[in-house]
Amino acid sequence: MAFAAVVATVFLIAQSAPSPAARVDNDTCLSCHNDPTLSLKARDGATVPLRVSQDALSASVHSKVACGDCHSAAAEMPHPERSFASTRDVTLALDAECRRCHFANYTKTLDSVHQQAVARGDRTAPVCVDCHGAHDVRKPSTPRTVISQTCAKCHEGIAAAYAGSVHGHALRDGNQKVPVCTDCHHAHDVAGPKQTAWELRTPEMCGSCHANKFTTYLSDFHGKTASLRRNQNTPATGPVVARCTDCHGVHDIQKATAPQSPVIKANLLKTCRQCHPGATDNFPAAWLSHYEPSLHKAQFVYAVRLGYAVVIPFMVGGLGLQILLHLWRLMANR
Amino acid sequence: MIRKYVRFSPLQRFEHFAVMSLFVVLAVTGFPQKFYDHRWAQAMIGWLGGVDTARWFHRAAGIAFGLLLAAHVVRLVWQVATGTVSLSIVPTRQDFRDAVQTLRYYFGLTDKQARFDRFDYRQKFEYWGLLMGSAIVVGTGLVLLFPIVTARFLPGELIPAAYLAHSQEGLMAFLVVIVWHIYNAHLSPDVFPFDTSIFTGTVSEKRMQHEHPLELERLEHAAADTHEPAA
Repeated sequence: MAFAAVVATVFLIAQSAPSPAARVDNDTCLSCHNDPTLSLKARDGATVPLRVSQDALSASVHSKVACGDCHSAAAEMPHPERSFASTRDVTLALDAECRRCHFANYTKTLDSVHQQAVARGDRTAPVCVDCHGAHDVRKPSTPRTVISQTCAKCHEGIAAAYAGSVHGHALRDGNQKVPVCTDCHHAHDVAGPKQTAWELRTPEMCGSCHANKFTTYLSDFHGKTASLRRNQNTPATGPVVARCTDCHGVHDIQKATAPQSPVIKANLLKTCRQCHPGATDNFPAAWLSHYEPSLHKAQFVYAVRLGYAVVIPFMVGGLGLQILLHLWRLMANR
Repeated sequence: MIRKYVRFSPLQRFEHFAVMSLFVVLAVTGFPQKFYDHRWAQAMIGWLGGVDTARWFHRAAGIAFGLLLAAHVVRLVWQVATGTVSLSIVPTRQDFRDAVQTLRYYFGLTDKQARFDRFDYRQKFEYWGLLMGSAIVVGTGLVLLFPIVTARFLPGELIPAAYLAHSQEGLMAFLVVIVWHIYNAHLSPDVFPFDTSIFTGTVSEKRMQHEHPLELERLEHAAADTHEPAA
């Protein structure tokens, strides 16, 4: 049975893979396309080079892929006559080719802000090859630093802010665990950061690394509100609730102990006032700075916690005991 | 005809009804916030129309509860000052002795049950417990409703402390009501299935004899005294 399944699978794969015999092999293509002067003229007058670097191609992850698999329209010889308005038009016309193999990631992009921009007719919005490259397509995450560089091609200002942040510094120093752009924003289904769903996801996003901070955030009013709003389908009607990034900053996030950090004690009141304009000097102490109440920190809160931890079981247990004694006596009386 | 004894005035009956209704609203809108990470809490918040709506109802009910408490305390102070209220709800040394005797009776150390006046020690305990607990939840609730005003005069750490005390006091009140009050008003074989006196305002003579014999004796003496001159 298992054997039959394996045979059937192999047979299916063999059938669905493009048969090399039916296509022109890569060497034949490159015999023309290694000519640096080979080019076509777009209707806007731009010259589109048609030379393909054999070195780049063989170093890419697609080194074993046939040219015709991506350039399906040019698979026949001689190539059919085609006309393009601009260089960009060539790229956009070829974009549909990727999804024939990478359908799952293509589907993800449909939810992305990038694809929404493409759908709006924004011709500068990125398509597959803008991030991944064309003939020189590589594994996108080796090394990890390359991811942020890819995004930086368009998001220059944010990339600079990130590079100056605690995360950017750590990445530069070789820490492979720090978040790069795609860890927060995702790669293919990159969401718009102004979307409510994104806002409410922020604490979990930061919490996936800063787990202990996440717990103390959730036990506070801000965190509970964010958590409860995240799990409901109705839109929030109350005021915006502070998330990690509202106090710590976003791309330019600093170490909490850095003098320019918005959460260091000297700057904290100013940070609180972004949402609580009337706040005075005592107010920031209402936030326990991610500390669990203990004998050393927030002793008053700790005392209240301890008090109730003793009184509640004592009270409820005592009353319950009296009920049981009452019932027992009534039974004994019968 | 069965003789009825008046136990609660219409105002007291209203107060109980209002506390009962507000308590339900406050518990339903409050506990899903306290236990926000449980599935049932998330479902309840969804059912209430979101955490912001739930909070609106919680605050509205809380303010109503606070006003009720304030009115009760002001009336009490006024009545005590003018001497127009009996102090039968004030705990005395006798209540302590009654509690000990009741426990001895439960354990079978004595066959004599404690005999109670207008309010027994359990009722006094519940009344004062409710009053004190209400003062705590209303006070801490106000701190949470006006954190900026609070921090203008008091240390900021009071706010998370109030947050914790508010939710823990609410939990304790809820557990006491579920365990103790529901037992005494519904499940106890003495009153099962339903002690209606707080709604009708009256109790039967039989229950007076059983539960408040000292008060009954006092009432009968007083009645006899007023009848004597006419006899």
